[in-house]
Amino acid sequence: MTTTRRSVLAGAALAASFALQPAFAQAPTEIELFFPVPVDGQLARDMATLIKEFNEKNPTIKATPVYTGSYDETLIKTRAAMKAGKPPAAVIMSANFLLDLKIEGEIQSMDALIKADGKTNDQFMGQFFDALHGNAVLDRQVYGVPFHNSTPLLYVNTDHLKEAGLDPDKLPANWEELVTTAKKLTKRDGDRVTRWGMMMPSNYDYGGWILQALTQSNGGEWFNVNYGGEVYYDTPSMLGALTFWSDLVTKHKVHPAGVQAGGAVSGAFLAGQTSMMLLSTGSLTHIRNNAKFPYKVAFVPKNVRNAVPIGGASLVIPTGVEGERRKAAWTLINWMTAPEKSAWWSRATGYFAPNKAAYDTPEMKEFIAKNPDAGIAVKQLDVAKPWFATYKTVPVRKAIEDELAAVLSAKKTPKEALVAAQKQADEIMRPFVEQTALKLPTN
Amino acid sequence: MAQAVLTVGKAKTWSVPDWRPRRTTVLAFALLAPSLLFLALFTYWPVVQVLWQSLHGQVRVGGPQAYVGAQNFLKLFADPAFRKALANNLVYALGTVIPSLVLALGFAMALARSSRVNALFRALFFLPVLIPLVAAASIFLFLFLPNIGLIDYHLAKLAISGPNWLGDPDVALWSIMALTVWKNAGYYMLFFLAGLQAVPADAYEAAILDGAGPWQRLRYVTLPYLKPTIGFVLVIGLLNVVTQVDHVFVLTKGGPSDSTNLLLFYVYQQAVENYDAGRAAAGTLVMLALLLVVTASSLRTLERSFGEKDA
Repeated sequence: MTTTRRSVLAGAALAASFALQPAFAQAPTEIELFFPVPVDGQLARDMATLIKEFNEKNPTIKATPVYTGSYDETLIKTRAAMKAGKPPAAVIMSANFLLDLKIEGEIQSMDALIKADGKTNDQFMGQFFDALHGNAVLDRQVYGVPFHNSTPLLYVNTDHLKEAGLDPDKLPANWEELVTTAKKLTKRDGDRVTRWGMMMPSNYDYGGWILQALTQSNGGEWFNVNYGGEVYYDTPSMLGALTFWSDLVTKHKVHPAGVQAGGAVSGAFLAGQTSMMLLSTGSLTHIRNNAKFPYKVAFVPKNVRNAVPIGGASLVIPTGVEGERRKAAWTLINWMTAPEKSAWWSRATGYFAPNKAAYDTPEMKEFIAKNPDAGIAVKQLDVAKPWFATYKTVPVRKAIEDELAAVLSAKKTPKEALVAAQKQADEIMRPFVEQTALKLPTN
Repeated sequence: MAQAVLTVGKAKTWSVPDWRPRRTTVLAFALLAPSLLFLALFTYWPVVQVLWQSLHGQVRVGGPQAYVGAQNFLKLFADPAFRKALANNLVYALGTVIPSLVLALGFAMALARSSRVNALFRALFFLPVLIPLVAAASIFLFLFLPNIGLIDYHLAKLAISGPNWLGDPDVALWSIMALTVWKNAGYYMLFFLAGLQAVPADAYEAAILDGAGPWQRLRYVTLPYLKPTIGFVLVIGLLNVVTQVDHVFVLTKGGPSDSTNLLLFYVYQQAVENYDAGRAAAGTLVMLALLLVVTASSLRTLERSFGEKDA
């Protein structure tokens, strides 16, 4: 008997909730923003502050920030939410995942939204640094709005330079200078190295990015910017870059062997156990707050030209977000990427503000004047290029990273490694290539 | 709701006259219903889904899942990374289960007698078990850091430079195995402590009277009595080897060059990084099959050893 009564009650409650639904139609549009925190915990609080302010200024929208872990985990959770039929209205997505998501039909073009605002795509994207367009505009359609970005940067402990009798104002600008400087900075105690001249991270994700920086500095491209089915692994520019890295380890002996994780590299730099390192500009705030010695930063040294890949994340709208939710997401995205907010987020995190106008705000001018290292990092954006993105970006990247690890551990020569990586990458991209570039008229 | 259904079912079976032979069966199923329901929802249904998924894959790039037959399995076995993961898992199994077993037995025999000091040592050896694997891996991340990590810090005092613990393809898997042994030995010790209580004291007395030395006592008295325990711990250990990869995720992500990639992590990579649900499902099924074989064969040995003792 109690069962029946309970179920009747439940049924009544359910019916009531259905009946009441129209009454809620005037309530604010509820949207969620999935956001990753790639650097440290403080950012989660900063994001909450940002969204709280947005909700106060936009009473018709109620945005909820959902912390979704690392970049990779954010991708997983977004896909899981979409499979469950509940896509988040907006996601801060690693910029090199956009192409993959577009190919799989999981994010939507923002062209119609831009047009509704009375702008052309070029006008809209014009507010962001040129280097960021490649990873956001795909097939001439806008799929992402740059949110925070980074590039690799050379960090140098200037105390060590002075100690070695070098000019602390003259940082290595090319590979030749990098090697001679690193040799002078490396300290040995018999066979044991007590201080390395140079360190570069080579763990998954980071290693590919740094190798791309070296390849681009060597005149290379790494991947076909216009087509997701091609990478240029087995090429002279890449061979030079990989051999250079391998020489630092085995020939010049100024760089430790094997894979070095990003955290191990910054840790060694802060502990004075490496004098120079290549690391993301996103670590600038961390280094600034923790270095107990004077340091300077410079462009990534070049062999052929100055060039680096961008990193960081863009805001995207998943497929299936429609109507009011889509409009609300668009409002949120525009608000978050406007100059003032962009500048605030940049100061809080150490990332670049992708919006050029952010650097014209008085707070930002003051900040750059106080922290010239942040200024140098921004200047490097002039020579920055798109981040590698292909069909199945992560496994294609892993193909070269596994070989990079083998080279750094002296298990393979650079040439062998590149041939193997190219073969592996071509194999992974084959289904895409066969259905695009190699799909030809049959009669 | 489930409870309500249950009581209704019960009431019915009670009122049913005795001639119905299935009364007890109905009651049993009624009692099992709640857990069966949840098992079905969260275990059997996903297994069915994995089965379905293993036969499906994306044929058109960006397209829906379509039936591909055994292709996922063929591709799986053709993938050198999968074979590498399988081989790694084998080395990992041998290199973690056997040392942890030997260590655990040693600890247990040393600490078998109850005393205050022994209680303290038991607690100390058991401590690693209390730490979640993820947390333990995060701690070891700092121990293993090249140059600045705790291990290298102490080695440097002896003027030795350690290897790149997690960054050298030849060393990384052994570092991870060392962590696993550290983590598990204390746990297995617990089973051996319990097992040792069951060895009758007069068996030792008889052995001593017969002039058996410590090794002989271990070989002919302790080990035979501990057979069921060893069998049980072996099963647990082998299951751990396949089902726990938290530390791989935290420490190396399967690198460098797939040298620490284990089966479960490979499946994760296929599902998440490669976005190939079909191959991930195929990998899961292969793993499941391996687990079933391991469990079944170990359980049989276990039963046999019980039988031996009874006889």
